[in-house]
Amino acid sequence: MSSAILGFGHHLPAEVDRVGVRRPIAIEAVGPSTLAVSAATQALERAQLTAAAVDFIIFATMTPDVTFPGAGCFFQHQMGCGTIGALDVRAQCAGFLFALAIADQFVRAGVYGSVLVAGAEVHSSGLDYSGHGAPIARLFGDGAGAALVGKGAGRSRIRNVVVHTDGRHHDRFWCEYPASRQHPVRMTIDNFRQGKHFPAIDVDAVRRFGVESLPAVIHESLHAADTKIEQVDRFIISHLLPEVSESAGKTLGISPARLTIPAARHGHLTAAALPVALSEDVASGQLGPGATVCLAASGAGYAWGAAVVTL
Amino acid sequence: MRNSRILAVGHHLPARVVTNADLTAVMDTTDAWIQQRTGIRERHYSEGSTGAADMGAEAARQALQRAGLAAQDIDCIIFATLSPDVDMPASACLLQHRLGIGGMPAFDVRNQCSGFLYGLAIADKFIKTGTYDHVLLVGAEVHSTGIDLTTRGREVAVIFGDGAGAVVLGPETNAQRGILSTHLHAEGRFADKLWLECPASRLRPRLTEEMITGAEARMFPKMEGRYVFRHAVTRFPEVIREALDAHGLSPQDLSLLIPHQANLRISQLVAMGLELPEDKVFNNIDRYGNTTAGSIPIALYEALEAGRVHDGDLVCLAAFGAGFTWASALIRW
Repeated sequence: MSSAILGFGHHLPAEVDRVGVRRPIAIEAVGPSTLAVSAATQALERAQLTAAAVDFIIFATMTPDVTFPGAGCFFQHQMGCGTIGALDVRAQCAGFLFALAIADQFVRAGVYGSVLVAGAEVHSSGLDYSGHGAPIARLFGDGAGAALVGKGAGRSRIRNVVVHTDGRHHDRFWCEYPASRQHPVRMTIDNFRQGKHFPAIDVDAVRRFGVESLPAVIHESLHAADTKIEQVDRFIISHLLPEVSESAGKTLGISPARLTIPAARHGHLTAAALPVALSEDVASGQLGPGATVCLAASGAGYAWGAAVVTL
Repeated sequence: MRNSRILAVGHHLPARVVTNADLTAVMDTTDAWIQQRTGIRERHYSEGSTGAADMGAEAARQALQRAGLAAQDIDCIIFATLSPDVDMPASACLLQHRLGIGGMPAFDVRNQCSGFLYGLAIADKFIKTGTYDHVLLVGAEVHSTGIDLTTRGREVAVIFGDGAGAVVLGPETNAQRGILSTHLHAEGRFADKLWLECPASRLRPRLTEEMITGAEARMFPKMEGRYVFRHAVTRFPEVIREALDAHGLSPQDLSLLIPHQANLRISQLVAMGLELPEDKVFNNIDRYGNTTAGSIPIALYEALEAGRVHDGDLVCLAAFGAGFTWASALIRW
């Protein structure tokens, strides 16, 4: 049995100018679960299914609504999905690919018929837009994307998903606090005043790793999917830095016309970047039924991955 | 399609033991009250700069050694926790770092008390489909740095303890053996009945000085105990029966039930509801308190050590907790 993406949707809050750059920013006090509801409703419509037909939820985020429980629980309630399971996955910028890999497994194992996968983030409530933090804060945006994964039929299927992590570099792109490992209290006023609850990024290291990992993991996924670069209609390559996606495209010999760079559109949406871009490219007609798309992401963790999907 | 099975189990409890009497020094409570309400006598707290991944690494090393595998042999790492070492990235990344390995996927599952069983369900599917051969699943918590150890926080604080457990899963070719099925549920409308609100991305901003020092204590877990108790004693038996029904089995067929160690009174009511004798239900909450994602693998480790699990036994693992989430797994050992 194979799985397929049967529908996708996205939701972006209105653009706001912050530190000289326009980004989708959720001004109202909502969490990623609420942004994901609009995206998921669209995905269900495209798949011609109702919320009642969903068997399982997978929610990928690094900015959950509250500390616990997971955003998936809040999402499940807002979707009116009864008492189906709602899994929260943390794999940072590659979170959507990890969630897609898990959805693919549950469908292929015959456990669930349809799995609703959401990737959503509200970064803006946790960024430092003041002078010191602005260079990092300006890189991110808020948004949500969703994909309904079900049984594959005909050509339409998830041909491969491959994911990797190398935690030895966990402190190159991270948000250290609150840190449960700090005894006796995981977050102090001093930690707060030092801004330790804001993300810190070694941009050069993250750039180098992206340039290296993205072409390699795309080759790996294409090889596993028995698909050649020429057979792929579109590549969606997500990275914090648009120039890294561009570089990966060049290394692979992909013409700019066949390449989507999510961060160039909205800033970095981390777990939401790939499903938002996929949904946008379908909405704009750049992708249609039967098209083969390669999705790839590399970022914090480090975690990275790629997928080859025929729509 | 092949099955998966648990090849080996490991655990780690930090050295420092905190008794109920110790807690009476920092809050207005009594040993009798805690024991009567929860069955807990003592729990372990970690020290120094110990995070969930540090304890998880100890448990993982023990499980790997017992499985006869090296860390490099693992194809995928799943880490269940609600008290990650750092805010981001996942504790699974820090676990890889501690084990000195990289390359294989590693991610966190954040499903609270049901986290270990959600992780087990995922590990099982990755092995079933033949995608991976060996999956390391860790459940670990450092609660002690995030609970309100004053009289104000006593209802919740006395319950939780630090600890870690780990299992290594591998393929099982006999379709009658290994993990027979997994069952996962959630009901998000009760999300605020047992939760830790802040930092909260849905607030603007998600973290303030007021949240850290203010009278509201929004950075500590809150629980409406009656709600949780009532739902737990309904959902536990329900999801255990769901697992048994899926295979045409009944509670009488069970060799051992290992419930998430939430509260001894809950476990006792669940056992009574299923008409299970005391020796068929494993409890160790008296010594560890509620270690959330760590509780089932720690209990499984001790059950194996105590000779309470034999080849061919039917074992049910079940959990209920924050979310609400609840889950079960049925295993033919």
